[in-house]
Amino acid sequence: MPLEAIEEHRTPVPVLSFPRQTVASLLIFAVCWETLSHLSPLLGIPPFAVPSFATIARSMARITPLDVVVTLARVIGALIASFTVGIALAMAMYRSETLDKYLHPMVRILMAVPVVSWILFAVLWFPGVEFRIGFVLVVVCGPVFLVDTLDAMRNVPRELRQMMRSFRPTVPQFFVKLMLPAIVPTIFTSWKVNISLAIRVVTIAELVGAVTGIGHQLSVAQELFSVADVFAWTIVLVALLFLLEAVVARLEARILRWRA
Amino acid sequence: MTEIQKNGPPPIEVRGLRKVFRQATTGQSVVAIDRLDLTIASREVVAIVGQTGCGKSTFFDLMIGLEAPTDGSIRIGGKSPYADFDFFRGHMATVFQQDRLLPWRSALDNAKLPLELIGHSEEEQRERALSWLKRLGLENFTNAYPHELSGGMRQRVAIARAFSVQPQILLADEAFGHLDEVTAAELRETFLSLTRETGATAILITHQLEEAIAVGDRIVVFGQSARLLADIHVAQWPPSEYGTLREAIQWTLQNQRPDPRLAQAPSAAAQSH
Repeated sequence: MPLEAIEEHRTPVPVLSFPRQTVASLLIFAVCWETLSHLSPLLGIPPFAVPSFATIARSMARITPLDVVVTLARVIGALIASFTVGIALAMAMYRSETLDKYLHPMVRILMAVPVVSWILFAVLWFPGVEFRIGFVLVVVCGPVFLVDTLDAMRNVPRELRQMMRSFRPTVPQFFVKLMLPAIVPTIFTSWKVNISLAIRVVTIAELVGAVTGIGHQLSVAQELFSVADVFAWTIVLVALLFLLEAVVARLEARILRWRA
Repeated sequence: MTEIQKNGPPPIEVRGLRKVFRQATTGQSVVAIDRLDLTIASREVVAIVGQTGCGKSTFFDLMIGLEAPTDGSIRIGGKSPYADFDFFRGHMATVFQQDRLLPWRSALDNAKLPLELIGHSEEEQRERALSWLKRLGLENFTNAYPHELSGGMRQRVAIARAFSVQPQILLADEAFGHLDEVTAAELRETFLSLTRETGATAILITHQLEEAIAVGDRIVVFGQSARLLADIHVAQWPPSEYGTLREAIQWTLQNQRPDPRLAQAPSAAAQSH
């Protein structure tokens, strides 16, 4: 293939797209919801249970950016911490079979514990709210990063490992030049899974004890029986998730352009 | 002129080499190589032929230093490729059956890889890798990723990668076996001329007798467990007798004992008359 043809072949991959079907399904849902909100008195449903979009819009206008920023910072901070711990442990476990044998069962147990249990443990163990939330997020997301990374390392083709070793790299060179680039696709998948997980977990963690963040605002909305507020904050959460996923997808398209 | 070109690479001495594997499932021992003795002179190009499972690949791994011998030794200038693993960084290079290029690296970055490991400056890495890619006819494809190249082009990049460090010892494991005949012949010729030019010692493992005859100064024929069945100096055979040589090697491999014709090479026979 001539060079020009190769360059031409490399078309950028669209990061976010909204096909017609997606827009149509969202519109159908919106029309159904709005109709139901107007019909709810006739159907015996309390008026606050299905608020109209106008009411939800008023709630949206009352969204406090500080709570959004706080939740976002907690999620990003915890994901970075989880990723660092996860990848460091995965590399250590890849290098040491003994360490792997000791840590593997513990990781499996950690992954089997329900999120609610971790939240209760955190509340009972730690007085600081931020530490509690960070602890819960890291203990839930960290093992996912660890297991995914370790699996990806073990799946690096033997042929590539043999080729690399034949050129006699040092241990850090072996990881930096071969293992880490080879597992980047899996790392991106793991980030996508963990972003979704972290958004859900942070909300539950903030419900208990926090005085800031989207979870706390959801708790307030629940106390006020304001479905419109719950809906508004939920929209913000979903938007945050999409935003973070879009950032990761853009990075992925850029870093993994060699796969195009 | 480099030091290798002046002095030549050190000879390779294989003495009583033995490699035994234990099968994970049955626990039985398998003798892959049984007391192999072989000496390869500086700058010699040696083709090793043998049937599947005869220990060629194990010998290759032992030569690279990825496996430890069970018994015996391989010495290159007095050093062991396994025990003195790091000593051979930049002195030994390999070309495998599949190109084994890193898919996330461009052709240039793949060719630079061994130079990065040695720690050459970025400028030198680029210069040397580009020069080898150019010599292999890939100057217009330096930024192409492996999936954008043909099989033959990818193998050229792999050859450029191996030569970029100007190794003393070159090891090739069925390096051209997966390519079509025309591409394979072309690459074989390029590989051989570059090997001669750089003054490296080369060991080629192959199952193709034509390839062994075309490339090797010597052809070493392995029987089961890498038992040395024949050690043929190709120069003793005039090209007109290559057909007979091919048949004799074939017979040796089939019968697992040396063909009598190999004991009397035509030129040697002519001298004796």
